Amino acid sequence: MATTAQRPATVLAAPRAEVRRRPSRGTRHRAGRTSLYVVLTILGVVAALPFVWMILASFKDAAEIRQIPPTFWPQDANLANYRTILQDPELPLFTFYRNSAFVAVLNVIATLFTASLLGYVFAKFRFRGRQPLFWFILATMMIPAQVTMLPGYLILLQLDLLNNLWGLIIPSFIDAFAVFLMRQFIVSVPNDEIWSARVDGASEWRIYRSIVLPQLRAPLATLGLLTFMFHWNAYLWPLIVLTEQDKRTLPIILTWYSNQHSSQANLVMAASVLIVIPVLIVFALAQKWIVRGLTLTGGR
Amino acid sequence: MATEAIGGVRVRRFLGGREGAQKRFVAAVITPALVFMATFMVLPIVWAFALSFFDFSPRRAGTPILGLGGDNPFVGLEHYRAMTDFSSDATLNVRQFHTAAKVTVLFAFLVLPLNLIITLPLAAMIESVHQRVRPIYRTIFFLPVLASSVGVAIIWGFVLHPQNGLLNGAISRITGNVTVISWISDPSFVFLGIPVALLMVIVAYLWQDLGYNLVIFIAALQAIPRSVTDAARVDGASAWQIFRHITLPLLKPTILLASILTVISAFQVFELFQVMTLGGPDDQTLALSVNIYRNAFRFQQMGWAAAMSVVLFFIVFAISLAQTRLLRSRWEY
Repeated sequence: MATTAQRPATVLAAPRAEVRRRPSRGTRHRAGRTSLYVVLTILGVVAALPFVWMILASFKDAAEIRQIPPTFWPQDANLANYRTILQDPELPLFTFYRNSAFVAVLNVIATLFTASLLGYVFAKFRFRGRQPLFWFILATMMIPAQVTMLPGYLILLQLDLLNNLWGLIIPSFIDAFAVFLMRQFIVSVPNDEIWSARVDGASEWRIYRSIVLPQLRAPLATLGLLTFMFHWNAYLWPLIVLTEQDKRTLPIILTWYSNQHSSQANLVMAASVLIVIPVLIVFALAQKWIVRGLTLTGGR
Repeated sequence: MATEAIGGVRVRRFLGGREGAQKRFVAAVITPALVFMATFMVLPIVWAFALSFFDFSPRRAGTPILGLGGDNPFVGLEHYRAMTDFSSDATLNVRQFHTAAKVTVLFAFLVLPLNLIITLPLAAMIESVHQRVRPIYRTIFFLPVLASSVGVAIIWGFVLHPQNGLLNGAISRITGNVTVISWISDPSFVFLGIPVALLMVIVAYLWQDLGYNLVIFIAALQAIPRSVTDAARVDGASAWQIFRHITLPLLKPTILLASILTVISAFQVFELFQVMTLGGPDDQTLALSVNIYRNAFRFQQMGWAAAMSVVLFFIVFAISLAQTRLLRSRWEY
């Protein structure tokens, strides 16, 4: 409260107190602009370097990758590393892509369904225990994964879901953050529309499907992308749940491959390109939606 | 129309049909949700606390009640008592826990200021370039957020490779001497009392994590009314003065929230420590998350691991509590 009251005073008083004479605005402005772009571009190049380094290394052969000091540009760029990986019978990449996609897509479907439905119930219905239940769901967001993963493992052991891709889907059926996000959006769906649909005799499920859901397209798209990204990149939980090679998802396979070929960085880098880059492109294209989701909630 | 609708509802409500349908709907949604939450949200928390009072391994048969007791004996607060043993004859487990706690806290509280020092000016810079090119810069810095953490760990492992890495290669090129520095594998390589391996994990994590705060700060900057900064500019304030005396104070609530989220996620980082440095050299990057994982799933000491996870829980919980406190106060421009 006090901070709110003080702020305008700071805003108005501070700059005026420190005004000094400066060169004419035009030149200062233009020089500032140019140096701004130069600095940003240099920083951008530095930030992109690790990716560039990975991609360039994936085109080098075994001899070049071991050179000391290393080369930056590949001397004899070729696709041999990629051929080796794609023909490696121990590395059926397609299977691992399918596993990862299966887990990520089903998690997206489950999360969007449960979050929109629970969000609707929490936003538009009054029932006993609503408030404490919602607070409980919010509170679970504060619990570190390291706490729930131990009993989580034991629960899957009991349910016989270890070494099963469903073990990566069923425990995350309801996502607290997603429920919270959806509730915030559904609150602003007009009550009148819901009531008049009821008067017209629509069932409650029908109202959810044809009144509520259509108004949630944008937030659902954002939430879907965030959920996909989270499960596609997940490492710790799949590492615990999956132990058989052919059940594994891409991040685990990447570490496995990297350990197997620790002396052949050219192969490891090519594998990293195959596993990291395709999704990176998709995510980068859909970035606007992901950024929107992050900035709406400040969530991670 | 509207009055008719309300009237209709009242009549139906009076007759009971609609009300019942709504109740049935809520019950149909909430009941399975409650069953799910009891199994996958409540039970794990209770179980984690319970485990921490036992000497538990999933390999040993216990009593039918969650496998606790029997061959997995009850040890009470023994795990927690052991954690407070700071003497030199403490067990390896305990010493490793102390190391891990130190590494994790050091990591989180180094990451936070470094993150803010980079993201705040960077956000201000990106926000002030032309709208057309803004998304290009934003994408470059945001891309690592989208990449898998495992990929990031492997890429950075190769950037820092002593013989064939990019960093040593660049140093060799600039100095003209072949340079071989073990950035992440030499335990005696320490800078200002902080192991360089840990510093390198911090660098990789900053690179990976910058994008989050960056987009949040860019959005917050865009929400600042132009008239405020324009007024200051008319009064002759420099760009730095505007940033220091207008933008920064207005961003304070966003910075607070972002700081808390940054610290909380830093406490739980796993991939970089597990894949890039393997907790080494000499446990210098053995984070609590890695130590919990190893004890639970490699060394079959789930009770001890659960006790450490409870400690992690209380650290994160305390920070989260501070967050809700701060968020409860209303902030306005």
